[in-house]
Amino acid sequence: MMEVEEGNFDEAYDVYACMQCGKCTGSCAVSLRSDLNIRELMRIAILNKNEDLEKHEEIWDCTSCGICTVRCPRDLKPAEVIIGMRSSLVEGGTIPVTVRDALESVGTNNNPWGRPKSKRAEWLEDLDVKVKNISEGEEAEYLLYIGCTASYDPRIQSVSRAAINVLTKLGVDFGILGEEEPCCGSEPRMMGETGLFEMLVEDNLTLFDEFGISKIITLSPHAYNTFVNDYPECAKRLKEDDVEIPDIELEVKHYTQFLEELIDDGRLDGEMMNEFSGTVIYHDPCYLGKRNNIFEPPRKILNIIPGARCIEFDRREDRSLCCEGGGGRMWAEGTGTGERNAIIRVNDANQDGANVIAVACPFCLSTLEDAHVTAGYEETMRVMDIFEILDEVLK
Amino acid sequence: MTVYILAEHRRGELMDVTFESISAARRLNDEVVAILLGTDLADHAEKVAKYADKVLVVEDERIENNTEAYTQVIGEIIKKDKPKVFLMGNTSMGMDIAPALAIDLDSPIATDVVGISEEGGRIKVNRSVYNGKVLSDLVLREAETSVIAIRSGEFSAADLEEKNGEITKVDSPLKETIENKKFLEFVEPVAGAVDITQADVLISVGRGIKDKDNLPMAEELADAVGGVVSCSRPVVDYDWLPKDRQVGTSGKTVKPKFYLAFGISGAFQHVAGMKGATMIVAINKDIKAPIFSVAQYGIVDDLLKVMPALTEKIKELKS
Ligand SMILES: Cc1cc2nc3c(=O)[nH]c(=O)nc-3n(C[C@H](O)[C@H](O)[C@H](O)COP(=O)(O)OP(=O)(O)OC[C@H]3O[C@@H](n4cnc5c(N)ncnc54)[C@H](O)[C@@H]3O)c2cc1C
Ligand code: SF4
Ligand code: SF4
Repeated sequence: MMEVEEGNFDEAYDVYACMQCGKCTGSCAVSLRSDLNIRELMRIAILNKNEDLEKHEEIWDCTSCGICTVRCPRDLKPAEVIIGMRSSLVEGGTIPVTVRDALESVGTNNNPWGRPKSKRAEWLEDLDVKVKNISEGEEAEYLLYIGCTASYDPRIQSVSRAAINVLTKLGVDFGILGEEEPCCGSEPRMMGETGLFEMLVEDNLTLFDEFGISKIITLSPHAYNTFVNDYPECAKRLKEDDVEIPDIELEVKHYTQFLEELIDDGRLDGEMMNEFSGTVIYHDPCYLGKRNNIFEPPRKILNIIPGARCIEFDRREDRSLCCEGGGGRMWAEGTGTGERNAIIRVNDANQDGANVIAVACPFCLSTLEDAHVTAGYEETMRVMDIFEILDEVLK
Repeated sequence: MTVYILAEHRRGELMDVTFESISAARRLNDEVVAILLGTDLADHAEKVAKYADKVLVVEDERIENNTEAYTQVIGEIIKKDKPKVFLMGNTSMGMDIAPALAIDLDSPIATDVVGISEEGGRIKVNRSVYNGKVLSDLVLREAETSVIAIRSGEFSAADLEEKNGEITKVDSPLKETIENKKFLEFVEPVAGAVDITQADVLISVGRGIKDKDNLPMAEELADAVGGVVSCSRPVVDYDWLPKDRQVGTSGKTVKPKFYLAFGISGAFQHVAGMKGATMIVAINKDIKAPIFSVAQYGIVDDLLKVMPALTEKIKELKS
């Protein structure tokens, strides 16, 4: 990642190596239903024709799923080129109003949802168990990083509560940051707000250092990805620019990885659970799957749940159909027409005979929850985060 | 105290804000001089001269529609004539020109001004802050010239005194053609587009409206109360209403005085776009719908019954 001055895409992303094969567009999660043509954008970058970028409204259609980068035979990073293009649009101020509002809100409220910081921990109110708050001086081995969406969206808050219940039952020594929890910066970065992202990296690493946090479990694959992949790179760059950043090594796991370890250690098994009834289909989130090759842990968890009949989508793992929830798409509808991917996904699940779609990402939960109602499966199908399923079955 | 104002015109039409600027300038008494820049200005000059003490006309096609050129030319005129105040509309043009001018002249500036007066030789303005929630009075520091941009529609031009001032042609002080900023085209808003963010009353419908055929019912209610129909995302997904009617985090954020939510459950993404409304009334057949937690008033009933009854009642009250 790099801040892109107008006209230096070639240097920042090595775009000259692009041979215009079009494999990126062929893999793209949204090009079927929108004008987004990543190969064409690569060409614009090669020719340095950036002055017309604002006419390419479809730049905001990209979900940052990352599959174009995975598939590029030249090992280029087309998904990063889009972020660079968004960056120059952010610099120029020509961005969708909803994206602007979300970014502004990160600056003022430390979350992109326009909600006050003081309400970030409201989801805790309905909980029966006591949770350690690391920001109030309590000590814990792990920080459970909730994230903005799971803190504020009432539907997703249920995942946060399920996580607390499950981890407590499993005897994990963990705490949260409550109102002090910051935005991880993943979405601002994907929306091209490079400067804001850098600021968050600096602030957040300082905050983690202050509270002695070194082990983090995340609910969201987006937070996981940014902590693991973007933070170290950004911190290194900031240090080179003489910004003072604490030297801390973070050990970050997505919660499915953490739970897999508990299974391996014999601390989580089917014996501890009541019978679940349902045919469960797992939807791979792009930020675990395509971007980080994490396919097994969620499946391992689902497979030990007694009574859960686990089936698979035809399009799974690194071919999983993106739900269109990432890359700022929570705040930008995009130019797409026709059926949303999420609708296609719930229809596929229905056809495969599933009555539970299991997810491991707050954005997937948002989009698929909405789609399963729109497609008419409200009565026959449930969309559940894996933590919610566990909360339901754990004795 | 001499006040210079900018006579704004676009596509051959003088803008109302020109006369509103004269009206605002009159509150500071004395002489009002209008600056008119661009091409084909004869007609405009006459119209403005009717109410101004003097009109300065600079005919130069390099200035037409180019705010950068405007800024430079106005700057030159002000540096020469040193009026106490330069005033213009806080329009899209004003937002471009006024701040840049203030920087060039090292002048104090007040934008989006809704009130103006003179107090002991100093200029006092009133402007709203915090999204219109607070009005603040500001006194500008002493300066050769102060720059003020007024909000359009705030200063009535209804009772302007006739002055029939003189029209003076001035040679263009623009040194060279502006290269770094070019006027490309005017983009018209899509015909028939409705701006739901500007409406005081929104009749908002959700999936609960069930069928496209029920939409005229909502339109009828909107007509009766003088409001506009907006909606939740599924209504757009079903193609029942265009995208620009969608309220929510990925649609529009609205702050009407009155928001009626018919058959909207109150999902997070929807509520985030409308919770700033002054008064929210929800109509939903499900008493547990989350929309009721943000609504001041609620009706638990079938919207297909409530909507026509409401329309009927409003029409009755109005007649
Ligand atoms: C990335 C993303 C972005 C989104 N952005 C937005 C957005 O900007 N705006 C938005 O609105 N949504 C948005 N959504 C969708 C949102 O999550 C909800 O799915 C949506 O708002 C639900 O719309 P609704 O309330 O109309 O439908 P539903 O949730 O289905 O609610 C329908 C309601 O109508 C009631 N009802 C049914 N019949 C009747 C009747 N006869 N009389 C009275 N009441 C009745 C029901 O009780 C129910 O409460 C977004 C979703 C995602 C994933
Ligand atoms: S896949 Fe790689 S090489 Fe091929 S067009 Fe896309 S960016 Fe260029
Ligand atoms: S990141 Fe995904 S959505 Fe974006 S251009 Fe690449 S393939 Fe398309």
